[in-house]
Amino acid sequence: MKRWGGFAFATSGALWLLALLFAFVSPLPAAEQRFPPPEFETGHKLPITTTPGPRALAREFLDAGVLLAALGIATWLVYRRRSRRGLMALSIASVAYFGFYRQGCICAIGAVQNVALGICDPSYAIPLTVLVFFFAPLVFALFAGRVFCAGVCPHGALQDLVLIKPLKVPGWLEHGLGLIPFVFLGAGVAFAATGSAFVICRYDPFVPLFRLTGSVSLLTLGAAFIVTGMFVGRPYCRFLCPYGALLRLGSLVSKWRVRVTPDFCTQCRLCEHSCPYGAMREPVVAAAQPEPPARQRRRLAWLLVALPLLITAGALGGARLAPAAARLHPTVALVEQHLRQQKAPVTHPPMTPEALSLERAANDPDPLIASARKIRERVTLACWLFGGWVGLVIGIKLIALSLRPARTDYEPDRGACVACARCFEYCPNELVRRGIAPAGPLKTAAPELVALVEQRR
Amino acid sequence: MTNPFRHASTFLLAALTTAWIAGAFLALVCAGLVYQRITASSNDPWKSPQLLELKAQLQDAPRDEGIKSRIRDLDLKFRQRYVRRLVMGRSGGWLLLGGSIVFIAALWTVAEARRRPPLPQPDHDAGARALRHAAASRRAVGVTAGALGIGLVAIAFGLHSALDDPALAPMTAAAGVTTAPRAGPPLPPHSEFLANWPRFRGPLGGGAASSGEAPLKWDGKTGTGIVWKAPVPAPGFNSPIVWGERVFISGATAEKREIFCYDAATGQLRWQRAIEKVPGSPAESPPISEETGYAAPTMATDGRHAYAIFAHGDLAAVTFDGDVAWSKHLGVPHNPYGHATSLAIWDGKLLVQLDQGEGRPHNSRLIAIDGGTGRVLWEKPRSMASSWATPIVIETAGSPQIVTLGVPFVIGYALADGRELWRAERLDGEITPSPIFAGGRLLVIHPDNKMMAFKPEGTGDITESPLDWKAEDNIPDITSPVSNGELVFTVTSRGIVTCFDLADGKTLWEKDLQTEAHPSPVIAGNRLYVTCTNGTTIVAAAGREYQELARNELGEKVFASAAIVRGRMYVRGLKNLYCLGPATKPASP
Repeated sequence: MKRWGGFAFATSGALWLLALLFAFVSPLPAAEQRFPPPEFETGHKLPITTTPGPRALAREFLDAGVLLAALGIATWLVYRRRSRRGLMALSIASVAYFGFYRQGCICAIGAVQNVALGICDPSYAIPLTVLVFFFAPLVFALFAGRVFCAGVCPHGALQDLVLIKPLKVPGWLEHGLGLIPFVFLGAGVAFAATGSAFVICRYDPFVPLFRLTGSVSLLTLGAAFIVTGMFVGRPYCRFLCPYGALLRLGSLVSKWRVRVTPDFCTQCRLCEHSCPYGAMREPVVAAAQPEPPARQRRRLAWLLVALPLLITAGALGGARLAPAAARLHPTVALVEQHLRQQKAPVTHPPMTPEALSLERAANDPDPLIASARKIRERVTLACWLFGGWVGLVIGIKLIALSLRPARTDYEPDRGACVACARCFEYCPNELVRRGIAPAGPLKTAAPELVALVEQRR
Repeated sequence: MTNPFRHASTFLLAALTTAWIAGAFLALVCAGLVYQRITASSNDPWKSPQLLELKAQLQDAPRDEGIKSRIRDLDLKFRQRYVRRLVMGRSGGWLLLGGSIVFIAALWTVAEARRRPPLPQPDHDAGARALRHAAASRRAVGVTAGALGIGLVAIAFGLHSALDDPALAPMTAAAGVTTAPRAGPPLPPHSEFLANWPRFRGPLGGGAASSGEAPLKWDGKTGTGIVWKAPVPAPGFNSPIVWGERVFISGATAEKREIFCYDAATGQLRWQRAIEKVPGSPAESPPISEETGYAAPTMATDGRHAYAIFAHGDLAAVTFDGDVAWSKHLGVPHNPYGHATSLAIWDGKLLVQLDQGEGRPHNSRLIAIDGGTGRVLWEKPRSMASSWATPIVIETAGSPQIVTLGVPFVIGYALADGRELWRAERLDGEITPSPIFAGGRLLVIHPDNKMMAFKPEGTGDITESPLDWKAEDNIPDITSPVSNGELVFTVTSRGIVTCFDLADGKTLWEKDLQTEAHPSPVIAGNRLYVTCTNGTTIVAAAGREYQELARNELGEKVFASAAIVRGRMYVRGLKNLYCLGPATKPASP
């Protein structure tokens, strides 16, 4: 295990460092491969620049249909067939279709931003397919939990398929890092709602892999996620995915939930370490020296009082982010560049995209500056809300960790479980159900467990 | 659970070997792709030093077919490499994908074969561990929240917006919150522009006064013929410009830049305005030759604002009441002697020729600015190094065009959009004399070498178009020629005045004044005014034979060119500004 851990740490760490390095070294890949037009007469006629047409409506419907079918199959595989192999096959199909064939777009993760922009900008019409991609997994989550993550989402499916030697992430670290998807969700919605940028798509590490091309920094980031994902189960889904955060919330109230055992829990603890995603929860047993209830109540009361304070502090702090956040908007970015050019001119080679943009800005800067100011106002409001959201998430998380859960069986955490079906195979009752193991008294090395199981029976 | 591979050591070995081979293959492909990426930038046409060098050479020799051919070859090579790189990248991607599938599958097989089923042991510490876990999780959430907070605070306070920059406040505040474009004050009629002296060497830049009247005699010692004399508070070699009742000059030192407005009738200083806090203006002044100074370019006006540019690259517009209407910094011109090209103006468009760089061009450009608002209308890069001549605007075939000089080209640009209309490779040396347009011909000077006359016709490269004539006697190096539509007069800096026939360029007469002359000559009616650096002005008949009409002493050194409006002449001496002419107030336009 130590050897695996060392290898995982070394390779993943190196790739993460490289990704970080490339992000600073080559932040602007857009113009890297563009060719300048000829600078003198050559007789060559430049071809007319064309842009690919929109995807045919029938194909859009096909995408939506495939998604709905895949969600249905995933639900059936998780709840009826309880089949890990079936989910693996579905994962391969999803990676092939939504990943490599559709090149990671359209996807439910990015659709969050379209919906946010559509709500805040009346002039933006959300395509029907995008709506389906956004709402269908959520609706399924309300009934069946995260079946979308199980084998339909190409990002999750890819990480699931590359998981070879899962190392256990400490529970406390899982909870700490678990905040990030909610923060990323808030940021993604805020930037999209203000029309600044679709940051979730911009920094998606898997789309360049599906397209087999992209900026060096994102390709390296994708490779870092894949290599890390060989040892840490679904690092993107657990610690970054903003749509996963939404699905997690939906799954908390889902009608059905994933159960390890098809019958009843024998408390054999065989499934205890079966989940590579840290979603398995143990039964709650009384500690030898339990924490005094008064102390627990006091802590909870303090946290309940602190919640509005956290939200307020977050909102106030978020507003301070507006000047920096607004720079992600292309108009504001151009104005910033134009103004800095006035202060300290930088010479760009003529006819380069940078020079042409600045020339356009310099030709009529006043409306541009006024427009940038308006955008800044919108971004300021969004940053207020974003900060408040971050405060709310932190507060709720702390409160949730202060509540004493009541659990008598081993069961997957409703929010964290991605319904991968791995744990099923660890349950003796499941093996009996499949006819692999004979029904009868449980044989185990732990007599206490035998007694406990018999008692429950 | 059953493990089908537990005893299949050969199978396990095969899987392990496959994983190693696939891993090595992946590493090899990755290395190839990374190498390809690294070398990509040197094949980038935007960045290739080789290609940039060739392009620079082409700017110096634009008709060199050899250089063009090399550029084409190199460009083709880059494009071929680019396409090859795309193909290789794509193939590499598929190879990586295939290799990864084999690698993962092999490793997965090995991992499955080595997997041991769980064997749970009694856990008596579960309850206490759950409590510790909850406490540690709360701390972890706190730490993550703290780290997030620190990160966001670093972003909030680490990244500053130019929109909030106090130094840029005038510019951003001017934008207001409305998207409606600002409109400048109304432009006076063109006839008024022509009746005044709104730029260097008069409205057309040719040095000819619109009215035929001008003073004949004056004397600086006795005050005869001097209407008023006013001290100039700041140094500057720029010439006065006049609009109605106002005379404008600028002055500057390394520390301060100012515009002065005098009453044309009385000489009283109406106001002086310091040009300061221009967004982007350098805190420290660039080193400038004393012979040029910080305020060599002559101002311009369109009747709405008066415009001034300084050696620092600061450009400002002031209202006739002395308020700054707008200002902007155009970057410090990299000029070996200091920027001296005066502003040109036509139809409310302010024209700034910023030729700069030594030997090689360095961000040279021609900029058209809406005088009313300060908005840049267009900006055109120029492949020329520093020059000091001032552009003129000429009207041919009904559409105005800007004529600029800069080694080695005379270039005509459309005033409307800055489109290059034609260019002729005719210049060399340090281009200081400005062009003039007389009798349908452009007269341009290759300093100390020749004066050429040609018609600004044709499109593209008109170098091969024949000249109407060229003259090689007594060609000036600093001053600009002047013409009355029949004759052309030049003055060398050594003081030799020469008269040429505008029709054929033949020398008609020459006169050695035996003193230095840096101001450009001017013409009013049939009189030619040649002002020498020592302050002596020779008034000669603008005819086919030399005839001196008067010789006037100002008693003060003069480097600037005179302005003549409504019978009065305005001369800037080294220390004072003079108004020469009849004492009676001239009729207003």
